[in-house]
Amino acid sequence: MGEAGPAERHAAFESYVVPEMQLLYRVALRLTGQPADAEDLVQDTLVRAYRALDRFDGAYPRAWLLTILRNTHINRGRRQRPLLLRTDDLAVTDVGPVRDSVPSSEDVVLSEQFEGVVVEALAALSDQHRLVIELVDIEGLSYQEAAERLGVPRGTVMSRLHRGRARIRSRLKTTGLARRRVTR
Amino acid sequence: MLQMLMSRRCRHVMRVLQSYLDGEVDAQTADVVAAHLEDCRRCGLEAATYEAIKVAIASRIEGGRVPVDAATLDRLHAFVASLEYDGRAPS
Repeated sequence: MGEAGPAERHAAFESYVVPEMQLLYRVALRLTGQPADAEDLVQDTLVRAYRALDRFDGAYPRAWLLTILRNTHINRGRRQRPLLLRTDDLAVTDVGPVRDSVPSSEDVVLSEQFEGVVVEALAALSDQHRLVIELVDIEGLSYQEAAERLGVPRGTVMSRLHRGRARIRSRLKTTGLARRRVTR
Repeated sequence: MLQMLMSRRCRHVMRVLQSYLDGEVDAQTADVVAAHLEDCRRCGLEAATYEAIKVAIASRIEGGRVPVDAATLDRLHAFVASLEYDGRAPS
């Protein structure tokens, strides 16, 4: 990738990004709750991804982009919901260094198998655990919002959510898909 | 001694890791976690794994539930096209 000229790099970047654009925007909208913020987040993500292109091996662009998007969102300073609580303190003035937010693709082995195992493990969870994960990770609710939706304490949401994901994590370990990077 | 301190930090970070990734911790905790994840290989990998799990699940967001308007997509496509070759955002 580093050997390619700028036009080739740009074309490669577009080939990774264009198919994922709608998904990126949808996830950004879930994360931010606001179309303008979502668009902003996607743009920042695209800039970071472009800068990190040389370190991307071309595998699993969706996961690569979504991870950058979520890390960018976290680095900006948490959820910006509900609207009533937003203040100028939450405004982003600086995109920040790429190094903080872009993972090395070799750190976590991501594959279609990975996603398959995750989805399978999710389906195998109890209704209670699965529902909370869906509310938070797919619907994009905060812990508090999920708690209100379910009529349970926030702490209950946390424990179900974390335990559910820990089970998924175990499943990945047993199938040998979440491997440590081989140390040199 | 240093080893012991690092382990205590790792234990603390592991406890709040998922909350951190969900954006549900306060700023101070987030800073502590973020700093530790940069330094600690094991915790960093754990974070990356949980992140990957979230990514895999979030990819299940299906089309149709949230309409993505054409104007937004057009703007984003134009943004991609306009990214200068050295990765700077257009001014």
